[in-house]
Amino acid sequence: MNPIRQLGDTTVGRLPAAARWPLFLALVAMLPFLLSGVWIQMLFFVGLFIVLGLGLNVVVGFAGLLDLGYVAFFAAGAYSLGIMTSPGSPFDLNMNFWLVLPLGVLIAASFGVLLGLPVLPLRGDYLAIVTLGFGEIIRLFLVNREDVTAGSQGLSAIARPGIGSFRIETFTHWFYFILVAAVIVGFIASRLRDSRIGRAWEAIREDEDVAAAMGVNKVKYKLMAFAIGASVGGLGGVLYASFIGFINPAAFSLQVSIDVIAVVIIGGMGSTPGVILGSLVLVGFPRILQFKATADFLSKFEWLRDGLNGIIAAADTVVPGSIGRLPAASEWGRELSDDTRFIIFGALLVAIMVLRPEGLVPSRRRQLEFESDDQPVPAGGAA
Amino acid sequence: MTAAALSVRDLGMQFEGLSALADVSMEVPAGEIHGLIGPNGAGKTTFFNCLTGFYRPTAGELWLDAQRVDGLPTHVLSALGVSRTFQNIRLFANMTAIENVLVGSHIHIGVGGTDVLTARRPSKYAALERVLSLRGAPRAALQGVVELAGAVGRPPAVRRAEAEAVNTARRLLGAVGLAGKENVLARNLPYGDQRRLEVARALATRPGLLLLDEPTAGMNPQESAAMVGLIRRIRDEFETTVVLIEHQMRVVMGVCERITVLDYGRKIAEGTPAEVQRDTRVIEAYLGTRAVKEAGDGSP
Repeated sequence: MNPIRQLGDTTVGRLPAAARWPLFLALVAMLPFLLSGVWIQMLFFVGLFIVLGLGLNVVVGFAGLLDLGYVAFFAAGAYSLGIMTSPGSPFDLNMNFWLVLPLGVLIAASFGVLLGLPVLPLRGDYLAIVTLGFGEIIRLFLVNREDVTAGSQGLSAIARPGIGSFRIETFTHWFYFILVAAVIVGFIASRLRDSRIGRAWEAIREDEDVAAAMGVNKVKYKLMAFAIGASVGGLGGVLYASFIGFINPAAFSLQVSIDVIAVVIIGGMGSTPGVILGSLVLVGFPRILQFKATADFLSKFEWLRDGLNGIIAAADTVVPGSIGRLPAASEWGRELSDDTRFIIFGALLVAIMVLRPEGLVPSRRRQLEFESDDQPVPAGGAA
Repeated sequence: MTAAALSVRDLGMQFEGLSALADVSMEVPAGEIHGLIGPNGAGKTTFFNCLTGFYRPTAGELWLDAQRVDGLPTHVLSALGVSRTFQNIRLFANMTAIENVLVGSHIHIGVGGTDVLTARRPSKYAALERVLSLRGAPRAALQGVVELAGAVGRPPAVRRAEAEAVNTARRLLGAVGLAGKENVLARNLPYGDQRRLEVARALATRPGLLLLDEPTAGMNPQESAAMVGLIRRIRDEFETTVVLIEHQMRVVMGVCERITVLDYGRKIAEGTPAEVQRDTRVIEAYLGTRAVKEAGDGSP
């Protein structure tokens, strides 16, 4: 469609590009018929992080503004819904979900602009530090201002959406809801990327002084990037709060920001398939490890545990000292996904950054960027 | 855009006790190709940086046609018709050639409001002005939303503007001799092509005043000659005033109608190439006082 996007050789698959996404979405939409409840619940969280990742991607991937406080916008959305709909909220508003959804997005967007204004002149590391602080400020606000947020007690019985008499309640309903949200956000992000706004962002990322010299109002476009990223974060927050039904400040720690940024970077900055894969790997996989089905499957490896424990016991007799024994094989998945998770996570991050610095599924542009300079791109490309 | 006349009055630029420019005055009539020369460190690039809003001049006035422009932000100056290239090439390295040019035509792709409308001269009452400009914030927000909606919804008007911009960009790339390299990443282009791409990108902003910072630096004589031809064509075809910084005297003398010479941040001479070449102060600045004496001895 767009002639400018035809970079180099783009024949990735045999399917025409226009058919790839609808086909993929159709396949995804069939999943609830094939998978059980826990899987669908897992996919909801994967979808949630796809939404968040796509939003952060606008800020980090497109505009090149490293934002480590993304959880602030997620919290803004979640708490908007919580405060306005929960019966336990300090303000007894009991508003409708559909009314709060746009409000929450708007509130998050204004938080984005609020963060954007003071950090406009900052670049790189400095920007990262300030945004990190912003995320913490929001979390502390949630903990300490009990008169607004109900503090660490949290808010419960948060409203769920319904259309007429139909209520979005089951995991399957939520799966489709998040799927629709992800498609809308993905569509908006891709449209923005291929517009003059996207080009302005890219120019700012490359060299903001020169971008200004070419007529790009960098204040406006940086704020726009922050606002878009924040509104998507807010959307994610609203959906999360409604799905979970209960929120407290502990859910909005720095870890969320790091998870989202890891999804973006592992997947490949600026790339939508990358965000999907990154979310599956980082959000989906640890949850799969916790499934009962996984435990049942792993319990078949009891013999392996016995064997390993035998070796450990032998080592123990040779070199006396207390070495622990392995837990029951059925517990391995849970163990891995709890404490050990971060070690494996870290190792995975390091491995991916060493082996594929451009991410798992890099955007075409990144791919070109990471190619070495002495391999010039075929001139003219597909045009 | 039609060529703009540049008027510089007593321009000064002071960096913490270091005076980079002092009392520089010059008039460049519309449509002229004006040379700016001087030894290293004479303040030529600083002069360009003042003209494009990279620096805010500490003294003096800048006028573009009948409008005072000193102290305006860079993107507003760009919208008013001041465009430039850079001595050390500063392309958007990871964007393709045509995308680089499309960034140049940014404000000409009409979507929502334009940035030119928000142009406002900074005053001494900056704080007050900031408060006042809050009045414009809702308007700016509305413009932003309109622009976002245009980009997402892509109505026919936006599609048309985008297609036009792509056509213009192709034409510009053709004009500077980069036809067929539209989809090559800027950083993968050979050096000479990168310089030409910078010119194309600057032209895409539709400048009334084009500032070229050493356009032939690092080029061989053939490439330089081609660049000289290109500069002449630009002035004629794109109706723009050109000010260029240049070290290659062959280029300066060949293409410039008038020349201003800077030394230690001050203007030491101005005139036609022939006049400047004879000026003793210029020879002194470039070659030292002995050279002037010898030249004086040699001539009748």
